[in-house]
Amino acid sequence: MNKRFAVAICLLTLLLIAGFTLLRNSAAKREYSSDQFLMDTLISIKVYGNDPGTMKTAVTQAYAEMRRIAELADGFAQPGSAAYDASDVCRINARAGQGPVRVDRDTLAMLLLAKKYHELSQGAFDVTVGPLMDLWGFGGKNPHLPPPDRIEAALELVGSKELVLNERERTAFLRREGMKLDLGAVAKGYATEKALQVLKKHGIDKALIDAGGNIRVLGQNVHEGPWRIGIKDPRKTDAVVAVLQLEDASAVTSADYYRGFEQAGKRYHHILDPRTGYPAAHDMTVTVVTRDAGLADVLSTVFFVLPPEDALNMAGKMEGVDLFLVTADGRIRHTPTLRGRVEVKPGAAYRYDQGR
Amino acid sequence: MRTDTRRLVFLSMLVAMGTALHVVEGMLAIPLPVPGVKLGLANMVTVLAVYLYGLRDGLTVALLRVLLGSLIGGMFLAPGFLMGLAGAVSSTLVMALLLKRTRCFSMIGISMAGAVGHNLGQLLAACLLLQSSAVLYYLPVLLLAGIPTGMFTGYLLNSLLEHEAHIFRDFVGASSGRKTTGTASRRL
Amino acid sequence: MTKADKMLLAGLLFSALISGAALYSRFFFPSAEPVQAVVSIGGKVVRTIELKPGARSSFVVYGRRGPSTVEVDGRRIRMQQAPCDNGICLRQGWIEHPGQSIVCVPGEMLIRMEGAAPLDAVTR
Repeated sequence: MNKRFAVAICLLTLLLIAGFTLLRNSAAKREYSSDQFLMDTLISIKVYGNDPGTMKTAVTQAYAEMRRIAELADGFAQPGSAAYDASDVCRINARAGQGPVRVDRDTLAMLLLAKKYHELSQGAFDVTVGPLMDLWGFGGKNPHLPPPDRIEAALELVGSKELVLNERERTAFLRREGMKLDLGAVAKGYATEKALQVLKKHGIDKALIDAGGNIRVLGQNVHEGPWRIGIKDPRKTDAVVAVLQLEDASAVTSADYYRGFEQAGKRYHHILDPRTGYPAAHDMTVTVVTRDAGLADVLSTVFFVLPPEDALNMAGKMEGVDLFLVTADGRIRHTPTLRGRVEVKPGAAYRYDQGR
Repeated sequence: MRTDTRRLVFLSMLVAMGTALHVVEGMLAIPLPVPGVKLGLANMVTVLAVYLYGLRDGLTVALLRVLLGSLIGGMFLAPGFLMGLAGAVSSTLVMALLLKRTRCFSMIGISMAGAVGHNLGQLLAACLLLQSSAVLYYLPVLLLAGIPTGMFTGYLLNSLLEHEAHIFRDFVGASSGRKTTGTASRRL
Repeated sequence: MTKADKMLLAGLLFSALISGAALYSRFFFPSAEPVQAVVSIGGKVVRTIELKPGARSSFVVYGRRGPSTVEVDGRRIRMQQAPCDNGICLRQGWIEHPGQSIVCVPGEMLIRMEGAAPLDAVTR
C-alpha cells in the first residue's frame, strides 16, 4: 500500500502534465520535404500538414506533374529517344517550315503566354531564340562570343510573329525552316505553378516549392506568418540584398550571375536580348513577385531585358505584379506597392532610396 | 492505534505549517525573472515528514501543501500549480532516496538536494508545458537558488533534531514501521 | 555539515558554473551574426543600417519635427540629437540587442534593432 500509493501519485502527476502537453501538441503541423533533379536543376518541395500519407502523395504527384511539363518542353532530347517522342518542343522544331504540330494543352498554354508577352514587351521576350542560343553555345560545353555577321544571320530566324498558334486545333507552327523554340524562360515557372495546383488539390494549405531559385509559396509558413524569401545578392555569395515577406505568391529571379563565360576580359551571360542578339546589360538582377509562377518566370526575363525605367513602368501598370531589381550600376529599385513586403539590405555595395 | 492517531495529528500539523509557509513565501517577490522561484522554506515540513514517517507520508504532505497552498494563494489549476506539483514530487523523491539509501548526509545536504530537486522538477514541467527548451536557460540560477534555502532549512532541522529530538519520540512509535532509531544515529 | 554535505554543495556550485558558462557565454562573446537597425518615420522605413563591429558613423534623419542625428558605433546605435522637448529618446542611450528600440514620440521616429531572422528560401 505504501509503495503503490507513492507510485500512483507520481503517475497521476505525470499524467496531468502529459495531458496538458498533448493538448497543446494536437495543433502542431508536421513537415514533409523532398528533392528531385529536374530541368537541369534541383527542385525542392516542402509541405506542412497533419496527415503524412496525404502529404507524401501530394508531393509525389506534384513532381510527376513537373516531370510531365519538363518532358513536353525539353528542347535537347536526342532524335530516336523516348524523350524526343514525348517532347512537343522537339516535334515543333523538327517540323519548322513544314507544317503545324498537334500539342498538349499545357504546351499551348505556355506558347500563348509567351506570345502574349512578346507582343506586350515589344519583342523583348521571345521563345524563338533557339538559333541564337545554339549559336552562342550556352547549352553546351563551349560557349563563346559569335562574330557579328553570324549573330545577324541567327536573328533572321528569331521572331515570334512567325510562330502560329491555333487554339481550336491545338497546334503550333514555326513558319520558317531553321527556326527553333527554347522554352527555358517559361517552362520551369509554368511547371512550378502546375505542381502547386496539384498540392492544393490534395488539400495542402502550406507549402514552399524551390525550383532552382524559382520560389512559389502557398499560404503562410508553419508559424502562421509570411514566408521569408531572400533575394540573392548578385555580387556576394551567401548574402541577400533583400528579404521578401510572401503569402501565396511567387518570386522568380533573372540575373547575370549564372550561366555565362568570360572572353577577352568581358563577361557574357545567357539572357540574350532577342532584338540585338547580345546579352541584356541593364541590370544585375531582377525579381518578379506575383501569384502565378509561370507569369513570374516570363516577366522576370521580360523585365531583365527591358531598361529598368520601362520595366518599372510596365510592372507598375500591371495588377498584382511587383518588381525588384538591382541596376548594373548598383542602384536598388522596386515598385512602390512592394514596400510593405520587403526588407531591403543594401549594405555598402548598393544604393537604396526607397526604391526610386 | 494511539501512535497512528498521533501520526495523523502530527502530519496534519506539518501540512498546516507547510501550507502557511507556502503561501507566505509565495507573497515574497523574488527579484529573479524566473517563474516559480520560491525561498523553499515550505520544504522543511516535507523533509521532516519523510524523515519521520517515510516516502508515502512525505509525498502526502508535499502534495497536500502544494494543493492547499495554491488554493489559498489563488493559483489553483494554473500552470504554476502543475509546476509546483512536479517540483514537490521530484523533491520528495530525491530526499526520500537520500534519506533511505545513504547515511552520510545531514539535514543540510538533504534539504539542499530537496530544494534543487524541487526547482529541477518545476523546470522540467515548464519545459513540457511550454513545449520549448528555452526555459532551461534558467538552470544555473535555479541550481544556485536551491543552495542557500536548503542550507538554511537544513540547519534549522539539524538543530531541531539535535536539541529537541525528544519531541518526536511521542509521535513516532514502533508501529510506524520506519526509522525509529534513526533520530539519534543520524549524524548532526 | 558533514563531508558529504560539503561535497554536494561543491557539486551543485560546480554544475551551476558549468551550465552558466554554457548558456550565458554569448553575452560575453557576442555572436558574429549580422544585426541591423531599422529607422522609420511615421511607420515608414527610411533607413536600414547593417551594424558591423568596428564601424563608426552618424547620419541625420528628418522626422516630423526636424532633423535628428543618429550615431552608430559598431553594433550599437543611439539617438544623439533630437528635436523633441522631453528627450526620453536621448536619455535611452545605446541599444545593442535585437528587439531593443528607441522611440521618439513627437518626431514619430523609431529605431529598432533586428536580428537576422532565418530565411525560408532564397530566390536566385
